[in-house]
Order: sequence, then structure tokens, then C-alpha cells
Amino acid sequence: MKTKTKWLLFIVAVVILLIWTLITVIPLYWMFIGSFQDTKLSATFRPKMIPELWSIAPYERFFEKTAAIRWLLNSLFVSSVLTVTNVFFASLAGYAFAKLKFPGNKTVFWVLLGTMMIPAQVTLIPLYILVINVFNLGDTYTAIILPGVVSVGNIFLMKQYMSSLPTSLIHAARIDACSEFGIFWKIILPMAKPGLAVLAIFTFVTSWNDFFWPFLVTSSTEMRTIQVGLASFVFAEATDFGALMAGATVAALPMMVLFFSLQRYFLQGITIGAVKG
Amino acid sequence: MARVEFRNVRKQFDDEKKGIFTAVEGSNFVINDREFVVFVGPSGCGKTTSLRMIAGLEKQTSGDIIIGDRIVNDLHPKDRDIAMVFQDYALYPHMTIRENLSFGLRNLKKPKTYIEEKVREAAAVLGLEEMLDRKPRELSGGQRQRVAVGRAIVRDPQVFLFDEPLSNLDAKLRVQMRVELADLHKRLGATIVYVTHDQVEAMTLGERIVVMNQGVIQQIASPAELYANPQNMFVAGFIGSPPMNFIDARVLGNSVFVEGTEFALQDTIADGLRAYQGREVILGIRPEHIFGEDVVSSVSGNYRLTKQIKAVEHLGSENLIYFPIGNRTVTAKVHPETVAYPGLSKTFVLDFSKVHFFDPETQQRIEY
Repeated sequence: MKTKTKWLLFIVAVVILLIWTLITVIPLYWMFIGSFQDTKLSATFRPKMIPELWSIAPYERFFEKTAAIRWLLNSLFVSSVLTVTNVFFASLAGYAFAKLKFPGNKTVFWVLLGTMMIPAQVTLIPLYILVINVFNLGDTYTAIILPGVVSVGNIFLMKQYMSSLPTSLIHAARIDACSEFGIFWKIILPMAKPGLAVLAIFTFVTSWNDFFWPFLVTSSTEMRTIQVGLASFVFAEATDFGALMAGATVAALPMMVLFFSLQRYFLQGITIGAVKG
Repeated sequence: MARVEFRNVRKQFDDEKKGIFTAVEGSNFVINDREFVVFVGPSGCGKTTSLRMIAGLEKQTSGDIIIGDRIVNDLHPKDRDIAMVFQDYALYPHMTIRENLSFGLRNLKKPKTYIEEKVREAAAVLGLEEMLDRKPRELSGGQRQRVAVGRAIVRDPQVFLFDEPLSNLDAKLRVQMRVELADLHKRLGATIVYVTHDQVEAMTLGERIVVMNQGVIQQIASPAELYANPQNMFVAGFIGSPPMNFIDARVLGNSVFVEGTEFALQDTIADGLRAYQGREVILGIRPEHIFGEDVVSSVSGNYRLTKQIKAVEHLGSENLIYFPIGNRTVTAKVHPETVAYPGLSKTFVLDFSKVHFFDPETQQRIEY
């Protein structure tokens, strides 16, 4: 009886997971096979799940008709810069909040956390006015990057992570004549690698996929990121669905490669601290 | 090497949960050059805070700390010429043992050949030569402990600070490391301040022991002195295992009465207790100073008490017998051949030359 219930539960779990996986995977699959189809075929309401035609023509059209290479490079540049700045500043701030004693430590941290309660839409317009009208940064990399140099969410993540590192190591390093920045650079950062990897992956993926802000602050074709570029592609005369799917595949591929190659770190990052070393 | 001195050192913490509380209260002591001093006490007694104030990891609220000839109140840990061994070893996990050992010297920008020489020396002293290129996680607990000690040795500090260094080791290894540490102290001829909550460690390692409780130093003395002449009930109860028994007694004339049984006192003791005439006192006697009547003959005087045994523990080399006096349970540590089993009504002999009397209010030992 017991084993029967167990089996039943197992089967139910597998079925639910299968359905969930299908729901998640089918749009990606559709995008992928659509990118090799004739435009009409890839836009049909009920697409064929097993394609008859494999053509790289949509890819050719995508790269020919648009500034796709430039968009990809823009995205790569913006995401890389944001990843580096977020990893650096969030880990510095997280370390300070977690391990250093200074007046107002708690207060500043709670104020920062409080800003996470404010929806992004609320600050969007003031931010826009600040960046475009006050600083006059419209249509520049600075405009895309500056507001995201470090996010509170990342500081919070790093603070939680740094709190789990043993304080005695910091004390040992201090007695070992290590400078305060040296402690951060030589002791804390190497130990925080799994946490930093998670932060880097999340930041890179988020900035790569970000649409709205780059869309707001860029106007020229050559300043667009890949996501903004893809969207503008939709609005062009008649949408070339084949080429659009090809573009979407090109945009999604680096993220998948990144995620799967760093998956080890990712898993390590979310389970660390739960297991006693 | 150097001496360490505390002058009226006080430390207050502003804790979220406890509010403002005093961890160390008006602490005064001198640790002599090359002395091995142990801070001992229950958790929260201020021993680790005191150690961390010597290290400079915590700043005292008031008072002066002197290392060598310098007041070090405002000096950074690195400038105090101390080295510390932590409870959890605090080895840098991403560095090899060699890098761990040399980290401090590299930060001090010492010449490369000097660093290599120092690391080699320390590794030889501690038997770590084979492990220099391994990472801490590849080492056993005992080996990590040695690396932590090695990291202190390479610095040639004036003062070594040990913060409960053996508490993460298993019992057998702890005994072994204890012997090694004592040996190390002899070889290095260093000033060592050692913190532990384990009174056995304190008694075996310390040349002098500082007993602390609730931020206040209770007594500073050699192990033998602490054992023989504890200044108050806390020290008496903390030092010695099993702890000293405390029995309610009443002074009347030249005797004390325990549950109606009269024990005649020697004149000197009776004189000392004169001020307590007709009042309650606490009689303190160590378990090893209570004997079974059938085994002992050397204790003179009529200090006998017949009681029903509550429980017996056989430890091989000795037996522990538990029996009630008033509402307290008294422990006797007796020869293993003493006849004892629960329920047996047995006569015990108390060695009154070793008893102490304490004031029930101040808990201080009554001097005589």
C-alpha cells in the first residue's frame, strides 16, 4: 500500500513537471524552428512542430536588413559594464553592511532596502528627466548604464552572502597586517566567488534582456541594444517573422550558453551556507 | 617578549537584544614576561572580550592596555606585535598552507628569503613540512590547528593570544594538543594569554589563571592556589571536577551544625567564625575530601555523617557517590573499593582540614 501511494505520487509529480517543462520549452522551440522557416510558415497560427524546411535565409535577412551586429555589440558592452560595476560595488557595499561597524550602518541599510519597495515605474519619470534633461545624456551609453551601476537588490544579496562568511578570517587578516581594502580584495572576494558568480549571471542576463530603459533613453539606430532593436524590427512595415525569430534566437542564445556554462556556480551559490562546511 | 597589563579596563557593548551591557568591568591585572596565563570562566564572562581588547579587535570603553612598555589603546592590531590563534582556526580557505603561514609576513613586506626561512622553521617545529602546498580543507582538524599556531609563530610576536583553540577538537586530540602547546610555550619562551571555558585546560596549561564571571575578575592565582584557597563560592565551584560541595551549616559556640550533627572546630577556625556566631554559613568541601568510612583511616576527629546513598557512578579509578544533605545533593569522590550502592545507609568521613566556609550573602570565603 505504502509503495503504491509512493508510486502514484511519483507519477503525478512527473506528469506535472512534464507539463510545466513543455509550457516553458514550447515557445523557445517555436522560436528556434521558426527562425529557419519561410516567413509565412513561421507566422501561421498553428505552426508545424516538425518543420519541413530548414533555411538560413531568415538569419541572412535579419543581419542584412538591420544593424544587428552593432546591437549585439551594444548589448554586450552595456551588460558587461553593468556586470562589472554591480559585482564590484554590490560586493563592496554588501561587505561593509555585513561586516564593518560604522555609525548608521543599520539605518542606511534599511533606507536602501526601503527603496526596493518603491515600484520602478514610480521613479522612471524623475530618472528620465534627470538623465535626459538635467544631465543631457540622451542617446549615450552613459544614459543606459548609469542608473544600473549598482542595484539595491544586488547589495542585499551580497550583504546576506557576506554575513555567512566567518568574521574570524577578517580579524585574522587584520592581525596579519592586511589593509582594510586588502582584506576585501585578498580574503573576502576569493571566498565570495560563488556568490559573485550568481550576482554576475543575474546581472548580465537582466541587463541583456532589459528593454524599457534602453528603449527610453536611446533614439538612434546605432545606439540600440539587441532587445530594443528587435522590437523596432516588429514595427517596421510588415513584420518579417522568420527574421524576427532568427533575431530572437540570436539574442537568447548567449544567455543560454552563459547560464549552462556557469550552472555549477549558480547551484553552488544558492545552496552555499545551507550546508555546514 | 613582553608583559601585558590592564589598568581599570572596562568594556560596554550596545547590543540590539540586551541593550547596553558591561562585558568587562574595571579589570586590573599584570601578565609577566614569558608567562602562560589562562582566562577561564563560563560563556559570557568577558574572557574573550578581554583577549580581543589585547589584540585590538575590540576597543575598550575606558582604561589602559599596556603591551611591553607601550600603551596600545589606540594602536591597530597589526602594530601591537601580537599574534592570535582563533577558535575556528580562521585559515584562509583559498590559500595553500604555505601562503597561509606567510600571509602576515608578506603584508609586512619582509624579504622573500626571510619569509621562506620563517615558514620552514615553523613547519619544522609543528611537523607541517609535507603539507605546505595543500589547502586547509585537505587537512584534518588537528593539522589545521597546527597551521593556525604556525601562522602565529612565524610572526615572532611579543605576545601570543589563544582563543579557545582546542574546543573544536575531539577529546583525545585535545589532550595531545594540550601537551604540545605546553611544550611549545617552553620552547618559544613566549608570553601567552589563553582563553578557555574548560577548567581542566586552564589547570594543566596555566602558570597563573584569571577566573572571570559576568565581566568581573574573581581571582588571579596559580592553579594550586585556586584549588586550595578559592576566594569565593564561584571560584570554588568552577575549579575542580566534580565541583566543590556546598552545605548549609550553622555556627554555634566552637562547632558548626549540619542538619543537627555537630562538628567541633579547631580553635583557629572557630576564631575565624566568631563573627558568624549563631548564623548560617556555607560549608564548602571538595568531593575528594569525603571518604567512605570503610576505606579511610587517616582522617582524624569525629567528622562523620551517616547518609543514605542516592546514586553511584563507577569511573574505574574512582567512584562518585551522591547523597542528600538538606535540599542539596553532595558528591563524594571515593576509592573504587568503597562499598556503595543506591539505598545503602553509609557513614562518610569529612576531612575538616580541607573545608572552607563562605558568607552566604557576599559568597566570599571567610578568612581564618
